[in-house]
Amino acid sequence: MVLSNEESPIYDIKISSVGPGHISGQDAAQELTGMDLAMKLHYIRTVYYFPAQAFEGLTIIDIKETIFNWLDHAYIPCGRFRKSDSGRPYIKCNDCGVRLIEARCNMGLREWLEPRDHDDDDAKHKLLVSSQVLGPDLFYSPPVLMQLTKFKCGGMAVGLSWAHVLGDAFTAASFINLWGQATRKQYPAQPLRMAHCNNEAQNSKSPIREPLSVKRVGPVGDHWAMKNETNMETYSFYASWAELTRLQSSICGDKDKENQQIPPFESLCTIVWQCVAKIKRDSDVKMVTICKKDSGNSFEGVITNKAQRVKMVKTDVPVVELSPMELGLLIMNQAVDETKIIEEAMDSDNELPDFLVYGTNLTFVDLHDAPIYDLNIRGHEPVYVHCGINNVGDEGVVLVFPSREDHCDGVRVSVTLPENCISDVKSMLKKELSLC
Amino acid sequence: MPENSPASSTAVQRKYLKLCYRHLIDNILSYLLISITATAAAVQLLRLDLLQALFSSISIIIISAVYFISKPSSVYLVDYACYNPSKALRSPFSFFMENSEMIRRNERKSLEFQVRILERSGLSEETCLAPGFHYIPPKLTTEDAKFEAELVIFSAIDSLIRKTDLDPGDVDVLILNCSVFSPAPSLVAMVINRYKLRSDVRCYNLTGMGCSAGLISVDLARVLLRNHPNSNAIVISTEIITPNYYEGNEREMLLPNCLFRLGGAAVFLSNKRRERRRAKYKLVNVVRTHKASDEKSYKCIHQEEDTEGNLGIKLSKDLSVIGGEALRSNLMTIGPSVLPASEQLLFLLTSLGRKFFNRKWNPYVPDFTRAFDHFCIHAGGRAVINEMQKNLRLSAEHIEPSRMTLHRFGNTSSSSLWYELSYIESKGRMKKGDMVWQIALGSGFKCNSAVLKCNRSVETPVDGGPWEECIDRYPVHIPEVVKL
Repeated sequence: MVLSNEESPIYDIKISSVGPGHISGQDAAQELTGMDLAMKLHYIRTVYYFPAQAFEGLTIIDIKETIFNWLDHAYIPCGRFRKSDSGRPYIKCNDCGVRLIEARCNMGLREWLEPRDHDDDDAKHKLLVSSQVLGPDLFYSPPVLMQLTKFKCGGMAVGLSWAHVLGDAFTAASFINLWGQATRKQYPAQPLRMAHCNNEAQNSKSPIREPLSVKRVGPVGDHWAMKNETNMETYSFYASWAELTRLQSSICGDKDKENQQIPPFESLCTIVWQCVAKIKRDSDVKMVTICKKDSGNSFEGVITNKAQRVKMVKTDVPVVELSPMELGLLIMNQAVDETKIIEEAMDSDNELPDFLVYGTNLTFVDLHDAPIYDLNIRGHEPVYVHCGINNVGDEGVVLVFPSREDHCDGVRVSVTLPENCISDVKSMLKKELSLC
Repeated sequence: MPENSPASSTAVQRKYLKLCYRHLIDNILSYLLISITATAAAVQLLRLDLLQALFSSISIIIISAVYFISKPSSVYLVDYACYNPSKALRSPFSFFMENSEMIRRNERKSLEFQVRILERSGLSEETCLAPGFHYIPPKLTTEDAKFEAELVIFSAIDSLIRKTDLDPGDVDVLILNCSVFSPAPSLVAMVINRYKLRSDVRCYNLTGMGCSAGLISVDLARVLLRNHPNSNAIVISTEIITPNYYEGNEREMLLPNCLFRLGGAAVFLSNKRRERRRAKYKLVNVVRTHKASDEKSYKCIHQEEDTEGNLGIKLSKDLSVIGGEALRSNLMTIGPSVLPASEQLLFLLTSLGRKFFNRKWNPYVPDFTRAFDHFCIHAGGRAVINEMQKNLRLSAEHIEPSRMTLHRFGNTSSSSLWYELSYIESKGRMKKGDMVWQIALGSGFKCNSAVLKCNRSVETPVDGGPWEECIDRYPVHIPEVVKL
């Protein structure tokens, strides 16, 4: 497969809109929290690959009918953004809908999923999901876009483009999982709702200090996207749980010792951080951002950005001089939760700043327990799911999401960095991981 | 006429006088006929001997028998089915506006005009558009129109077959009306192909006859059934809106985009004696009025290309007024056959009085609610319905089926009358003996009306009807302006 510009494998593209089957929302105004607005420049792009049996015998109208039934219970993402008198954006629940893109691919599913070393790993998946951002015409921009690409063999790729302003990746996964339930005629008791606005937003208290995990950019106006200084490329690799356990023990040493155990995600962070720091010798990577789900509270039935904690880890000592174990302990114990001060920084400023969160520092996002394989279409699970977070800053993003390869459970680690250092990082990572 | 509460005895007396007058005049012919015949028969029979009396009686019996046998058998409307669109074809206003904005980026004024139309249209956000309209840009090819035609027509016919157990091989007459879309082979051929109708079926495909074509088809079926005893007829009324989409910016031509929606109906008519028992209605009369000889009426609804070459349907500003005039013409024809004699006498006396005595007398508008129990007025648009209500002096309840059909389904053109009839049935208001008046208006300018008599009370809930899911929410209050 050569992704040349002459002939794209994707053709027969048709764009339409799908929305709730009944009047929902009733033009209600859904307010956005400070955290929502802080994440507005990022987009979560997930591609689910299904075998032919999942959609067999369904016409496009049949598929659309399941979507209409689904969105009856999830109508907030079907709205459009408006600005209140103070200039603060909110969502008008007007049933405008989700943009649906139908496409065909001239390759079979298996052929498409075969790994090719020389390609940017994200590139082929990017063809199956929309890259549209919100704005410049905010009135008519859909926050959610879905692409249904039919392969030659009958398999189907479902590409979900989800504006991060609505919620985090866990929320996006829960949202689309409801569609799977709708195809099996199961519906939730209550429609999806958004987390309430914190009352403290009205008090506009100034934060104690400026958060270090975000960067003020823009002003972007109504076009919610940032252009990168350099081209970003992605390299991804798969690691089974067994391999992760080996990595873990290679970092922590003997289990009998009384040292604190570094969990698999943090172990991966350690390795990748060190590789990147070694490659980028001039600009020593002394600060990283870690995004993890808040394990305490349950956010079921809610679309929100409050469930993800944004933590900043800083080291005064150059990273290359630290052992993996020390780095791991630093990540575990010295991470500063900046979620609250980010929200305060957003709410206290009347000008409503534009923040860049992912990619301001090298950012690690932990999605290893995201329910992406729970999307069950008429009894069929996806054969593969690929996650990506687009429109990120120049420092890069490392995404860890669940993966299933050769019938073996594990994770896929997706590293997005500027194109000038990605190949070096790739070779170094391969070397480091093979040693474990 | 306003009802006075019987407060005083004079009011009560006046009421009884009115009732006596009406009863006497309404039945005057019957009284005269019976008394004359009885007197003549008695006189004659007394003077005749046995043989002559027997001969006279037998002659009378034979003449009556010949009369009844040769009388064309009544046409019954056995049942009908309306297309119930899938909710996947729903078109909320917000989506309609977004679609229009994305296609017509430069002309802000047309967009604002369409917003104002939608706000005042009386349509809800549950009306449905053809599948091709949901695409950006809309898919308006012949293939898309055919897809819509198959979707609407086949669903309606399947529903009718389910309701009536009709065998496609038993269909003798097939009439389909669809104004704008006319492919080759025709839509009737499409139906015959799908349902494998007999090769000798009498089929007719009516095009170009506008929103009133539904009743023209019913009239044609009636005439054919009169000439062919013991036959079944299927009438399909629909408007395929895919080719109707106007892509230009002229205001008078943008209205159909905002009002026309997906819809269709299939009606089963028969003159077979065995269908009489289960038929829902008896088709009493169809009256057609054509005003094309008047220039203004002729140009009122006109399909033409605008200055940019976009094809659309231009609606004149005088549409409601012309509609009113066409209705009055139709009333003049249908009035005598349906109005009770008392109303006709009053109308005659008032007209003579206006002509010879005093022009300033108000013209007497007959009270049609005395002749009919239910009214199905084509849901052409809010202004049209208001005008009809004013002209016929109907109450809000009489006009409710039209308003609610416009709200739930939009303007479905020739099939709207059947959605309205279905509404009345779903509300449990249709009882045996009820008289229904269907009035259709359309380009030409035409006003066609049909009179139906309910043959058997219709039980609720009406299975498989288009109102099945939502009848409990109706009637709704429709505000003058819905703010978008």
